[in-house]
Amino acid sequence: MFNKTAIAASVIMMSITTAQAQDTYRIGITQNNVGVDSYQTTYESAFEAAAEKAGNVDIVVLDAGGDVARQIGQVRNLIQQQMDAIIIWPTNGQAVIPAIRQAHNAGIPVIVTNSKIAEAGLEFISAFSGPDNVQQGISSAEMMCDALGGEGKVVQISGQPGYTTALERATGFEKRLPEVCPDVELVETQPGNWNRERAQRVMEDFLTKYDQIDGVYSGDDNMGVGALNAAKGAGRADEIIFIGATNFAVGYDAIERGEYYGSIYQSPVDDAEAALQTALDVLAGKELPKMNFFETPKITAENLEEFDRPVF
Amino acid sequence: MASADQPKSGLPGVKLSKAGVMSFLSAQGILIFFLLGMLAFSLFSEQFLSQSNIMTVIRQASIIGIIAIGVTVVIIGGNLDLSVGSMLSFSTVLVVDLHDKIGPTNAILLMFAFTLMIGAVNGFLIGFLRLNSLIVTLAMLSAIQGLVLIYSGGQNVDIADQEGTWFAFFGRGYLGGIAVPILLFGLLAIVVQIVMSRTGYGRRIFAVGGNPMAAVYSGIRKNWCVFSTYLISAFCVACAALVLGSRVMGSQNNVGQGYELLVLAGIILGGTSLLGGAGSIWKTVIGVLMLGFIQNGLLLMGYPYYTQWIVTWVIIILAVWLDLANKRKSLFTTHS
Amino acid sequence: MTSIKGFFRGRAKIQPIWIFVIAIFIFFSFMSEYFLSWGNITNILVQTSTIGLIALGMTLVMINGNIDLSVGAILGLAASLAVGLQEISMTLAIAAALGAGILLGAINGLIVWKTGVNAFIVTLGAMLGIRGLLFVYTDEQSFYASNFAFSDFGMSSIGPMPVLAIIFLVCVLIMHLVLTRTSHGRNTFAVGGNPEASIDAGIRLGRHMMINFIIVGFFAALAGVLLSSQMGAATPNLGRDYELWVITAVVLGGTKLTGGSGSIIGTLGGVLAIGILRNGMNLMQVPAFYVLVVLGVILISVLIIDKKVNVPSSKEVRI
Repeated sequence: MFNKTAIAASVIMMSITTAQAQDTYRIGITQNNVGVDSYQTTYESAFEAAAEKAGNVDIVVLDAGGDVARQIGQVRNLIQQQMDAIIIWPTNGQAVIPAIRQAHNAGIPVIVTNSKIAEAGLEFISAFSGPDNVQQGISSAEMMCDALGGEGKVVQISGQPGYTTALERATGFEKRLPEVCPDVELVETQPGNWNRERAQRVMEDFLTKYDQIDGVYSGDDNMGVGALNAAKGAGRADEIIFIGATNFAVGYDAIERGEYYGSIYQSPVDDAEAALQTALDVLAGKELPKMNFFETPKITAENLEEFDRPVF
Repeated sequence: MASADQPKSGLPGVKLSKAGVMSFLSAQGILIFFLLGMLAFSLFSEQFLSQSNIMTVIRQASIIGIIAIGVTVVIIGGNLDLSVGSMLSFSTVLVVDLHDKIGPTNAILLMFAFTLMIGAVNGFLIGFLRLNSLIVTLAMLSAIQGLVLIYSGGQNVDIADQEGTWFAFFGRGYLGGIAVPILLFGLLAIVVQIVMSRTGYGRRIFAVGGNPMAAVYSGIRKNWCVFSTYLISAFCVACAALVLGSRVMGSQNNVGQGYELLVLAGIILGGTSLLGGAGSIWKTVIGVLMLGFIQNGLLLMGYPYYTQWIVTWVIIILAVWLDLANKRKSLFTTHS
Repeated sequence: MTSIKGFFRGRAKIQPIWIFVIAIFIFFSFMSEYFLSWGNITNILVQTSTIGLIALGMTLVMINGNIDLSVGAILGLAASLAVGLQEISMTLAIAAALGAGILLGAINGLIVWKTGVNAFIVTLGAMLGIRGLLFVYTDEQSFYASNFAFSDFGMSSIGPMPVLAIIFLVCVLIMHLVLTRTSHGRNTFAVGGNPEASIDAGIRLGRHMMINFIIVGFFAALAGVLLSSQMGAATPNLGRDYELWVITAVVLGGTKLTGGSGSIIGTLGGVLAIGILRNGMNLMQVPAFYVLVVLGVILISVLIIDKKVNVPSSKEVRI
């Protein structure tokens, strides 16, 4: 179906392109699941804008659609295209490691963005850039403790099962809560899969099941607002403290109205720019720490005006 | 031809002979499963049979239920519709996004128009070009999901003023103490059931699904009949989108993902055969409610949400099997 | 690839899907400088091997007039078993994974055979239920292989050919021969073409159906093991929606949903078409949202063309 001359021709073509492209970096990125929520979509456009601004970067933007197998294929494709660097937003913290290792072995530096990969893979990446999700869970636990005055019953609506961000936020929250507030009890956790409608249903079930709920911790504001909707529908919103993470515009507005206690401010624009900058620093040969966290502060009604309303 | 396949309404008059009891048990098998299941759950969880819990479950089930009504009509007409999940995402994103731009009334009208247009595309491809419905709606599932993402640019859509819009009525409102989604579900079920069982149109759909060749020879315009079932399916999806959009006051682009399978599971559980020409809206209503109560009951008992899938697996096969066994008067097939 | 001619022994006509495959192959060769390279072509083969292996089994099930929607869930379960049980022993893990596929296929087949319930319903239920079993087994966690030997196998090559591509092509050859050269293959066509007549002719219809469900269960499990070897890990959501792509590929390859007609070579064309489209559109940087639309539109177009062009010849099945 193909012949040797064609292969030879394409090999020559490829070497010419690389020769010409000495001054511009070619960076490939494979994202987790663009379109599943606004954060990821805003990240993508911010990344493209940042690359445009940097000037000397050609980017190839791919989306794995949440499917690990497809992401591995995409990493292989990027290796095949001999990218100067590969940025990966892992669909799964463990399953992508062999593909990352393959890129590493092919001499292509890999930068992991947004969501961490497992320990075993750290030696194959040049750097990680993203938020510290465990710390976010810890911050949320502290906010919950403050808001409840040290006593009460809380439920948790977590993100997509098996997804590192979901796991880390839950871990941080569950570990910190009993330390700061031994009298606050976490009665149940159910996944809301980053989906507002599903979170709303989960909360409705919680509300029928438990007569006393004093606080809800949601893995992100999108789900948190779903929980708020459910509580409003049951007429119990006033008695419940809502705390989320990844402040969405709807969450920001709800904090402003006083319906939502607090969240973690995390900008996809910062996230995307940090990822690109990390990749450029690696390519420029700068010394970087392995883990590069960008700031994700607590946001409540008190410090609301210090932050711009999120665009997503 | 058609009338023979129509659902019998009400309980059949059964004699108390052993055979009669057997046939009654299998004829009403789904209902009995349903009641036994309810009883079992209520033993394990005191909240299960509370009025607020029952209302919550029915309200949650109403979105799947409304869609299932339309898909049941498509199935009676001898076809399938797997595109309803993507279509639900499309319609919900559309109505929520347009709400703040052109006002609720226009948004709702436009959303119904576009949803019906998608239904018309399905109907044209399957009714007039006679393409296989499974594959066409599978392709549409992918294509419509892409369209949603292109339309919204992948962003979530939200309604800014959640408190001040009458759009809240469809998903959050109450009439006479009953939630509007439940009323809408019930109303649609009654209307479509009457259309399917009492009108010439309904008889024609049964005929087309039961024996297409005979239907054509008897002068029924099969193309138009099949086409119309997809309009009904799209209309039901649009109603569901109204409820969903109003309930959440926002939408993600993949909000309807996987609904097509839950809808099918509900319909099958209710006992409507996938072969076409038979089935009823009542059965679908019971099937969908049953799915809802299984999920809720297991959750209340403290089992994780995925255990319901295993239970559904077993019940679906048992229910359909018993139904078949009763029709052929033997538990197993005879061929080797 | 050079043996395509040999594959067509006794069948001069080239299937329409192959014309399409060749057309998009040429198209992408011009559109992207990276497309036409050995590395990329083997990439396509490796990436299609997952869907491809399942599609081989699915072809038989669909020629039989049945369908199997549970393959994605079986793939996921097999992958998790293959990785999760490795601590005990690699052999045991792989045997358990493949065994689970065979067992679940047998259960599906037995239910379809003995109860007479429509395969769509049986396997729709199984699709939910097996995913549930998988979540129970994994407790919603991902598993990963503690050493890299497993993933090294998934990434390894013999000469210029990746091992996974070789396994896939060998399975294509075997299944092509099974379908065209054995009595089981001939009976599969007969059962799908006219079930009543085949019973009258003394064909053991139920047994053939069950064997085909076992075959597709085995291939789904094999695909799961091989996919997990590429990742050195398994995730509980692995394989979700794969049944849809498998069915799409098999239908693109010319197998009729009503049964009685189809071929492995056509199915190979179908999976390659999807694989090349995905790969080519990635290389051309078509935005992900448009890829979904393009795939949907192409599938419908192929159906329409098939209907218009191929009406008389589609009935003829050479066995």
